[in-house]
Amino acid sequence: MEDVVSEVLEQRGKDVSFSEIESVLARGTQTTGATGHARALTVTVVAIGPDERAREALPPLQQLCDGCAVRAILVTQAPTSSSPKLVGNVVVIGGLPDRYVDNALAALRLSSLPTLVWWRGGSADMLASLAKLADRVVLDADPAPAVWQRALELVEQSAFSDLRWTRLTRWRALVAQFVDVPEVRDAIASFNQLRVEGADHASCSLLAAWVRTALHWKDAATIQILETTRDAAIESINLGGDRTELALRLASSRRCVEASASVDGRTLMSRVVSLGNESLTGLLSEELRIRSRDDAFEAALRGAVRHYEHVSTEHRAP
Amino acid sequence: MTENPFHDNLRIEPTPGPTTLVIFGATGDLARRKLLPAIYNLGRAQRLPARFSVIGVARSPMDDDAFRKQFIDSLREFADVDAEHDEVAASLAKRLFYHAGAPDDAQAFERLRARLQEMDAIEGILYYLAIPPGVYGQVIEHLGAAELSQPRGRGWRRVIIEKPFGTDLNSARELNALVHRHFTEDQVFRIDHYLGKENVQNLMVFRFGNGMFEPIWNRRYIDHVQITAAETVGVERRASYYEGAGALRDMVQNHLMQLLALVAMEPPIAFTAESVRDRKMDVLLSMQPLLEDGPAADGQPNVVRAQYAAGWVAGSEVPGYREEPGVDPHSTTETFVALRVHLDSWRWAGVPFYIRTGKRLPKRTTEIAIQFRRPPLQIFKRTSPSSIAPNLLIVNVQPDEGISVRFEAKLPGTRMQLAPVMMNFRYGTAFGGQVPEAYETLLLDAMLGDPTLFARHDFVEASWALITPVHEAWRREKPAAVPTYEAGEWGPREADALMACDGRRWRTL
Repeated sequence: MEDVVSEVLEQRGKDVSFSEIESVLARGTQTTGATGHARALTVTVVAIGPDERAREALPPLQQLCDGCAVRAILVTQAPTSSSPKLVGNVVVIGGLPDRYVDNALAALRLSSLPTLVWWRGGSADMLASLAKLADRVVLDADPAPAVWQRALELVEQSAFSDLRWTRLTRWRALVAQFVDVPEVRDAIASFNQLRVEGADHASCSLLAAWVRTALHWKDAATIQILETTRDAAIESINLGGDRTELALRLASSRRCVEASASVDGRTLMSRVVSLGNESLTGLLSEELRIRSRDDAFEAALRGAVRHYEHVSTEHRAP
Repeated sequence: MTENPFHDNLRIEPTPGPTTLVIFGATGDLARRKLLPAIYNLGRAQRLPARFSVIGVARSPMDDDAFRKQFIDSLREFADVDAEHDEVAASLAKRLFYHAGAPDDAQAFERLRARLQEMDAIEGILYYLAIPPGVYGQVIEHLGAAELSQPRGRGWRRVIIEKPFGTDLNSARELNALVHRHFTEDQVFRIDHYLGKENVQNLMVFRFGNGMFEPIWNRRYIDHVQITAAETVGVERRASYYEGAGALRDMVQNHLMQLLALVAMEPPIAFTAESVRDRKMDVLLSMQPLLEDGPAADGQPNVVRAQYAAGWVAGSEVPGYREEPGVDPHSTTETFVALRVHLDSWRWAGVPFYIRTGKRLPKRTTEIAIQFRRPPLQIFKRTSPSSIAPNLLIVNVQPDEGISVRFEAKLPGTRMQLAPVMMNFRYGTAFGGQVPEAYETLLLDAMLGDPTLFARHDFVEASWALITPVHEAWRREKPAAVPTYEAGEWGPREADALMACDGRRWRTL
């Protein structure tokens, strides 16, 4: 896959100048017969990251262009070419010094429409300059604590999210929907235990911080994060108190979550729900539908940064 | 702690509280084609509550497993889902139950109550009447008699009633009165699936969420409005219903009146159910009667009806309406109707609204076209002799939901020559993701108790009050008075004459 992408980026892409991009995209739309795409554009999506991470972003960006009316720009920090390229409908820029990236994007983004930056890594200064330019920054980089710390310093300048948080949408909704059931809601004051199991400590921390914030937990509650070596960022969540427990676990298909609520060991209800489209394109599509600040994320982010190293963490073999 | 603290800023919202959906007519076409797939899609999108179950009610003896199989089959047939291997479908199927009972069987409702108690369905119960309109009354009466219409303690009871709601003004009033004996108005959800379509909802956003359109949305700038709902299909398997209904009852009284109201309504003071529905109601109250006491000023009737004769649609030869199975060979039921509507309001005085709907027309499309006045001075007449096309704003309702604007542009070249261009916005390609089906939106709204997209009792009655005199006049006419149009044509000549006498013509679609 990487080789193919690399080939597409470097060989097949069409060289264009900055000033030509508008007209080349318009001609491309005419020749491909893509009707709605260029006629009612809704947002500029900018993916940016180090070489490998940027290359991985190309296929999802192309799918995004096929599925919705976005202008997609990929900024790779490797010097792929001296001029921008058009790869399908994606504008690819490479080899720009960090300090000029915001300037280049300012010239290429759609006027008067939102800009979303998909941050796959890079220097802290560049993140700051893009936060000024973007309406929304979606983080997707490691190591999470460092990136999050920097994001918290920039939240006044732009709305932030993280693809880890996007992956938690369905899990969070499941927890909330169980608490809609009166027997569970009546018991939440007694909830004092949370166990999150998964391969990605950062995702588990975000989820734990969200629960801690929602339930106004202080130090009396027990939060356990179990790191596994399986592929899923989150494998299971157990939340409850002495009598009531919510148990959410990734199904064997890895596409659904099996969930149940029980009181005194008796199952009140159980259900299976889909995790939705967890591809990068699917996650980005969800982020494109969020047009306001995500206050829940910002609160969870603060909590996750504050408690990142302080929750009880265990490692579990697969 | 009484509120759910996890709902703050949740991306999947809102979600209803615990709900049991009771579908009357669970083995029927509507349930299989629309409701069961809608339930699955809501489940797939995680919009259903954690405690959710469905009880299907119908006459046929069947057990829970057979009803679950019907659910799986419906998904495969009408939602293109490989339901046998789908975990969400399997999980939902476990929460489906079946209850055999006829609408006139009081004991069946007693047994239903016992079953609901047994299932611990004490919170929300939503009844969906997906049954023939003739038995709405029986079901409502029995729900009331079995004390199923009002909650005991906490929880709620609501009822969704499908169209047609009555067959004329009197029957609609009687049905409303009967429903109100057992349910209060805020428990009643009269469904019109057109209102669940994204672009119909978007019409309000378009008008009231933008500053640039509302100032020109009036008689000073708009010449006229055309609303078209065209179908290529004939009467299909619905002859027994359609013979007694016709296009005026089937399409105009509900769907097209709703579209007209959304186009013509004044801005509501807030986006609340009552405020929106009050303003829509004002539109119907301002409508001039469709039949005038004497001859119309221009001698042209405001209503034209017709019936399709044999012809060709989309390359296939099709029979005429009277040759369709189940249709009376001497039927006078109209399969096409065109109307000219005038509103006595400050905003719309003198602006006609033309409405047409029919079966076996050349193309399946529903749209609202707002035609603006031409510029007051034709300054390009000398260099561009062809007359300037008026600006159009087109709201596509189906099949391709979106909005288009037509305006004039200069043709490239040295001459100042003008040509119309169309700018398109399409829901399917603008935002990505799936556009929800109307039934998904409306089912969810009913579970949430939001009646904004449902018809209120007074709207239904006002709509019938406008339509009923037309039916009464038709009944007095001789059968031979029903004109015909060839299947595959855009209606009869009389429909063209209805606009031609105003110096206008129907849009080419």
